[in-house]
Amino acid sequence: MFDTLKDLCLLDATSGDEFAVSDYIIEKIAGHCDYKTDNLGNIICFKKGKSAPSSKIMVDAHTDEIGLIVKSVTPDGYLKFSTVGGIDTSVMMARRVMINGSVPGVIGCKPVHLASSDEKKKCPGADSLYIDIGACSKEEAERAVSIGDRAVMVSDYTVADEKIISKALDDRIGCAVLIDLIKTYDKYDFYAVFSVQEEVGARGAKVATFALAPDSAIVLEGTTAADIAGVPEDKTVCKLGKGVAVSFMDRGTVYYKNYYDYALNSGIECQTKSAVAGGNNSGTIHLSRGGVKTVALSVPCRYIHSAGSVADKNDILSARRLAEYMITAIAEGKVK
Amino acid sequence: MSYIKDMLFALSGAYASGSVDEASVIAQKEMSKYCEVIKSGQNMGFFGMIKGKNDYTVMLDAHIDEVAFIVTDIDESGFLTVSAVGGIDLRTLPAKQVIVHGSQKVKGVFISTPPHLSEGERQFSDISELKIDTCLGAKAGEIISKGDIVTYAAKPASLLGTRVTGKALDDRAGVVVLLELARRLKEESLDFNVVFSIVDGEELGMRGAVPQTFSISPDEAIAVDVTFGTAPDVSENEGGYLGKGAMIGVSPVLNRHITDKLNTVAYDNGISFQNEIMGGKTGTDGDVISLSGCGVKTGLVSIPLRNMHTDCEVIDIADIESACDILQKYILSGGVFDV
Repeated sequence: MFDTLKDLCLLDATSGDEFAVSDYIIEKIAGHCDYKTDNLGNIICFKKGKSAPSSKIMVDAHTDEIGLIVKSVTPDGYLKFSTVGGIDTSVMMARRVMINGSVPGVIGCKPVHLASSDEKKKCPGADSLYIDIGACSKEEAERAVSIGDRAVMVSDYTVADEKIISKALDDRIGCAVLIDLIKTYDKYDFYAVFSVQEEVGARGAKVATFALAPDSAIVLEGTTAADIAGVPEDKTVCKLGKGVAVSFMDRGTVYYKNYYDYALNSGIECQTKSAVAGGNNSGTIHLSRGGVKTVALSVPCRYIHSAGSVADKNDILSARRLAEYMITAIAEGKVK
Repeated sequence: MSYIKDMLFALSGAYASGSVDEASVIAQKEMSKYCEVIKSGQNMGFFGMIKGKNDYTVMLDAHIDEVAFIVTDIDESGFLTVSAVGGIDLRTLPAKQVIVHGSQKVKGVFISTPPHLSEGERQFSDISELKIDTCLGAKAGEIISKGDIVTYAAKPASLLGTRVTGKALDDRAGVVVLLELARRLKEESLDFNVVFSIVDGEELGMRGAVPQTFSISPDEAIAVDVTFGTAPDVSENEGGYLGKGAMIGVSPVLNRHITDKLNTVAYDNGISFQNEIMGGKTGTDGDVISLSGCGVKTGLVSIPLRNMHTDCEVIDIADIESACDILQKYILSGGVFDV
């Protein structure tokens, strides 16, 4: 599962341009389940188990990552861009980027020597940032890239003891766990959705859930962990190494209480996501058709939505175990 | 790749600050292929010398150290407090990946406070608030000690054309110029000594150049450093154009004859160059070299560079070649010996 995660994190797939990750996933799941892709690019899979479940279960993970989209090329050959998904300016200044998976560039930054003391105190607006690909002119830049091209902030994939440092841990972790479930879990039938466009408003999951019309949904994703130096205990949201986080409520969803309670009492190491913050595909999934009973299993990620996010292997294993436990419990009607 | 680009990549990808001397070791090994190398005994500093027929000495200077950080505290959760070694823009640090040079190399990440915790606009005032997450928890204290150096982690990469990006191009670009010149001049029969002086400590106020220049005691010197390149937020009044040639420094603290001769050899030989005009100090080793001993006639050649002191510095190899060409012609035509 961790080899798969590494491969997935190092692929570039911003929202609406998830093909690199989708192709990889299909390669991994082919032969292990029935699958099709829909009009938006979601991969919808049916994994036949040994028994039929008592209700129709969907497990979701999103394939897209935050990134940048090129809006214009300046007369001097710099690229202006918009962000794709929510990115703080402070994690974009002076960063290496990769455009279209093949053209490297950097997001420039005025030299510290020339910045005024006021300038140095706060980040400029994202609209003042630009990408430098080394072009000497607009024409040279336009031979290498086009407006509408996508970029990501680049990162190696580093394993440091129990921790992983990489870009795109949100939500390649969910994808890796879901691939593993498809390949190794065969007790009950379930549907798996690798959804697109989560970072721009949980769009892929909306249509995939409509198409599947499940009774129950398990959403696998990454969430903010603020267990870092200087943050008071009550603001940490969740902590690395304490198991997957289970949400009672976030900005998009009040979660189905029976599932929340059942997951927390599973005996598998997990924690409560202790803040009403963020959101994920659950927001659209739980409102689909006549409503879907939904639980979100979120792997804590420090510095989420940056090229240097950090997650703990044990929390990923916890997500994998708890996802399986919940599928079985829902399938067997142990939790209703 | 060309020799210049190969060396620039090798040196940019290596580390050098304070007690960390990887890049210096690479540069020394390379320099020793072309001439005698002398360790000055001052931290990482060393110099190569091509002997001439007389005692007159022309010294070329470049600094090997990079901007970095130094560990001042380690907490039980594996977060480090650091101070900056050189001028660093704090706004560029959240979620930036770094290498902590403890008893082994450890990857770390500058913490980035999530949006739900920032009240109003984020203020950057004190680097001690920007901890480094070692991802090692309590084990960090076994590997990392106070005083250990932290460097950027970025590896160099090619951009379009002859442009490259990476960390520490300030001033590994200058070091590469000196190595390339040693390579070009090694077979020449020169009237005077040419010394290639590689120093450290520039980022903390040109500290390495002071004792090493004193030891070498040159008659004339040229510092080779980087300067600001134009960018959307750097005007042509503040910097030079990338790709239009090395910048020959013009300043009251620089020797007028050297400046004129550099301009002349560049112009006469059709080598691309620009001038960098400064009203006083240059912010390079040139400032202290000129005051060494009883005074040294000093010139300055700078390579324009964008995003200075970040791990996303951008430079044009063509400007490094321009610097090499100008300095090669300058030395082969006798320096300012005859002025």
